[in-house]
Amino acid sequence: MKRILKKGIEHKKARWGWFFVLPSLAFFAVFSFYPIVNALYTSLFRKRLLSLRPPTFIGLENYEYLLKSPDFWNSIKATLIFTIGTFIPILVFSLLLASFIMSRKRFQKFFQMAFYSPAVLSSVVAAAIWLLILDPRGLANTGANFLLGTKGIDYKWLASANMVRFSTILVYFWKYIGYFTIIYITGLASIPQSLHEAAMIDGANGWKDFWHITIPLLKPTTVLVSIMSMLQCLKTFSTQYLFTQSGAPLEPINVITLNIYNTAIRDHNIGRASAMSIILFIIMLFFTWLQFKASRSGGEVDYM
Amino acid sequence: MNRRSLFVMFLCLIIPISLLVGKTIELQFWTHEDPNRTLIENRYIEEFQKMYPNVVIKRVTQSSTKIQELVLTAFAANQGPDIFNMSIEDEYAYIVNQRVAPVNYEAAGYENKEALINAYLPGTLDPVVFEGEIYGLPLEITNWCILLNKKVFRDAGLDPEKDYPKTWEEMVEVSEKLTIREGQIITRRGFDFRYPYYLVAFMPMVEQLGGKLISDDGKTAIVNDEAWLKFLDFMAAWGPNGLNLGSPTYKNARSLFNMDNNDIGMCTTGLYQLARIKADNPAFYDSREWMVVPFPQFENAVNYVPAHYYGHYYMVNAQKPKENQEMAWKFIAFMLSHPEEYLEKVAIIQPTKELLESDTFKNYPYSDVFISDLEKSTVVYFSEYSAKIQSLIKEAVESVMLSNVSSRDALNTLRRKVQEVLDEQY
Amino acid sequence: MDIVIWTLLIATALLILSPIVFMFTASLMPARDIVKMPYRWIPEELYLDNYAQAIKGNDGSYIYPRNILNSFIVAGIVSVTTVLLSALTGYGLAKFPFKGRNLVFLLIMATMMIPFEAIMIPLYLVATSLNIQNTYIGLILPFLTNAFGIFLMRQYLITFPDEILDAARIDGSGELSIFWRIILPNSAPAVATLAILTFRSQWDNLLWPLLISQSEEMKTIPLYIVKFAMEKHTNEGAMMAAASIASIPILILFITLSKYFVSGASLYSSRKG
Repeated sequence: MKRILKKGIEHKKARWGWFFVLPSLAFFAVFSFYPIVNALYTSLFRKRLLSLRPPTFIGLENYEYLLKSPDFWNSIKATLIFTIGTFIPILVFSLLLASFIMSRKRFQKFFQMAFYSPAVLSSVVAAAIWLLILDPRGLANTGANFLLGTKGIDYKWLASANMVRFSTILVYFWKYIGYFTIIYITGLASIPQSLHEAAMIDGANGWKDFWHITIPLLKPTTVLVSIMSMLQCLKTFSTQYLFTQSGAPLEPINVITLNIYNTAIRDHNIGRASAMSIILFIIMLFFTWLQFKASRSGGEVDYM
Repeated sequence: MNRRSLFVMFLCLIIPISLLVGKTIELQFWTHEDPNRTLIENRYIEEFQKMYPNVVIKRVTQSSTKIQELVLTAFAANQGPDIFNMSIEDEYAYIVNQRVAPVNYEAAGYENKEALINAYLPGTLDPVVFEGEIYGLPLEITNWCILLNKKVFRDAGLDPEKDYPKTWEEMVEVSEKLTIREGQIITRRGFDFRYPYYLVAFMPMVEQLGGKLISDDGKTAIVNDEAWLKFLDFMAAWGPNGLNLGSPTYKNARSLFNMDNNDIGMCTTGLYQLARIKADNPAFYDSREWMVVPFPQFENAVNYVPAHYYGHYYMVNAQKPKENQEMAWKFIAFMLSHPEEYLEKVAIIQPTKELLESDTFKNYPYSDVFISDLEKSTVVYFSEYSAKIQSLIKEAVESVMLSNVSSRDALNTLRRKVQEVLDEQY
Repeated sequence: MDIVIWTLLIATALLILSPIVFMFTASLMPARDIVKMPYRWIPEELYLDNYAQAIKGNDGSYIYPRNILNSFIVAGIVSVTTVLLSALTGYGLAKFPFKGRNLVFLLIMATMMIPFEAIMIPLYLVATSLNIQNTYIGLILPFLTNAFGIFLMRQYLITFPDEILDAARIDGSGELSIFWRIILPNSAPAVATLAILTFRSQWDNLLWPLLISQSEEMKTIPLYIVKFAMEKHTNEGAMMAAASIASIPILILFITLSKYFVSGASLYSSRKG
């Protein structure tokens, strides 16, 4: 009797579970699953955006072309350079800044807010501001000349290949450093104070304490930060789009998303653009899988 | 008269009138931004709507770069506007894919096709001819010359009337004298190119040296390597890694010119810029401290090639109902029946024979310089893939100017990529 | 050592804030002063023409205020729907065991991986087939909810005490009533954070409105800024004025409600496994 009752309750719960979840699922079906399946389907055709003729089925030819195309590999290279060049500085500096802030007794909130404020602005606004700062006559050159003791040198922020890559990384770093600093602050705050005290008693001074206690215990946070920022970077679009629209060279910063956009909108080649999107999608799935796996394994850190 | 009969009379009047008026036709009209043109075309819309009360016209402007994307996505969803215009290199794909309709001669007020062709300067309708039919009516045919600021010349100790550059080599010399720098940072440029319009303003330089983009049979990309290399070397020398006279990353020259801020000496632009100067900076315009000179030629040029001309043509969406299309052509013809006003207020040239022989045109400042170059020039390269090819040329030039790629490497990459486009493997 | 850390912190804060300060000061200067080297941080006089030009637009149509209103409407409505739908879904995933629940959760998380460029054209075709292009619905519909919000709410609700829910059920409350009257009001921190983060993210949306807003009246702020930037009459000062106008509402929101912005970042990281 009890078993039947229990089963009844479970069944009811399951039904309600589906009920609560169904609206979103329906939404995603129309606005996420259908379009990505559609994109997958389109990637198997040669299809031009304006053509009224039915598209030709070419199977995996788009993928073959892309995997052999120097232009596509350049996009992968540009995306990787951007991603790695951004997330490593973010990782290092957000940890440093977080520990600095935590070591202060006052003004913690002020610093957190100051660092976070760029993340609040829209990326179009950020790009507009930085385009002016990076103009040859702008603040970036003035500042760099001042700091490096040079005079009148144009550091070619938007003109030379390496510098323009650096500039996109700089803008991204500026925008998100505060966000990740705060994540680290939460991570640091979750380490019990008792551990630091115990280490102090054992004779470990500040630096040793940091290296042997704090950093290992921050492993889950570190993994979270690095993979989150990696994913953000893989999706980057507005900064590169707005820079290239304003005259910056395309090739050094032709990240995959920009390449997809140009292939679809400028070249009208929707079949190939869809294939590129599917490849990007797979790359991102891979990194997310990495994230879930790593965070699960690092979830339990032994305090002993 | 009693109330009932009044009412009946009223009904008898209303019903036929409503039948006459018929259903409303709404026309979506998308075009690029130009404040001077917006003013007059909004007036034309009012007048036209008075003439045809059942027609409502919605005019929307976009910036000239955004309009390509918007028209494209709209048509991709089969929801394109009734009337639109873009530069021919961007419009051609719509003709080839049969998205736009041939001119409705009657609605546009012409007896037949021949009458239409005869009204225009020979050749100016060619870009919109496809398989014998004409697919657009010209809003403007534009070619570019060099506009220069006399004050900047005099400030550098030069006489604009005599010392203006006639060759590209002179352009380098003169720019050197006009350029002011603080260290490496340029605060006043002598001249800078009209990036990123490579098909219109840069291809002529290659052609002056004897090079071609595509062979005459349309099958091979890049003809005459030597000419191309000379051109690429020239651009590399112009840029920040050479003589540092300019670069695509500075603000474009023609936007700065009107403000007369002592930051630019010369720019490449069309007749329409004169109307903009008048609107933006009347004092500068009236002072006549500016002048127009022809497009420079290389010293040892093999051909005389001025900047190519391009056109904006009003086109009509072929996927809309017949009544819409007919009204659209009527409205286009109505707008275009004011060529002199377009010239005076917007400074764009409709290549009708009538206009070019009119006094308004002949009295327009420097119209003779523009026409002289126009007569010697040819239409810009256009095809279904011209946008892609232009961006490939852009990459090649930028790589030699900004990324220190050698001219030979850039040329080989360009050749490979353009060939791909041609072979339609792309 | 102390001094070093203070100096580093203050210097970094100044460096990070300087572009924002630059935007505001440049908006109050005529363009020719902005490009003068070196940059004078304090404008000589309050030059308000830039703001006038930004609001008026280069064609004198005063469309910017309308665009700002559009951004508010779209971001506001999206925040509300996202909170509701995410809470609903998160609650279902957190508190109701059913077969296939993990699969559903994974599927929803997978939608975060889909790059927008991949689906923008098919989405556009969906929108036009529903004939909602150039409408508010068209701007809002693809963003009714998102996986991040669902994840946030689920994380938060997993630790919600079951006893309270069971007690309410015993008392005879229906499931929906429990959701509305117990879950939602008691999830205020998560709800507020989600609402604010969603608002900020929608405020920033460029690609979708670029495709779907075809008339001036339906454009949103990022579109206006991009259009304004490309127009030939726009100078640097007017650009910064337009950018400032776009940033002031969101900065005010940030300063007054900073608690929720800041905890947004930390809520994500406080995973309890």
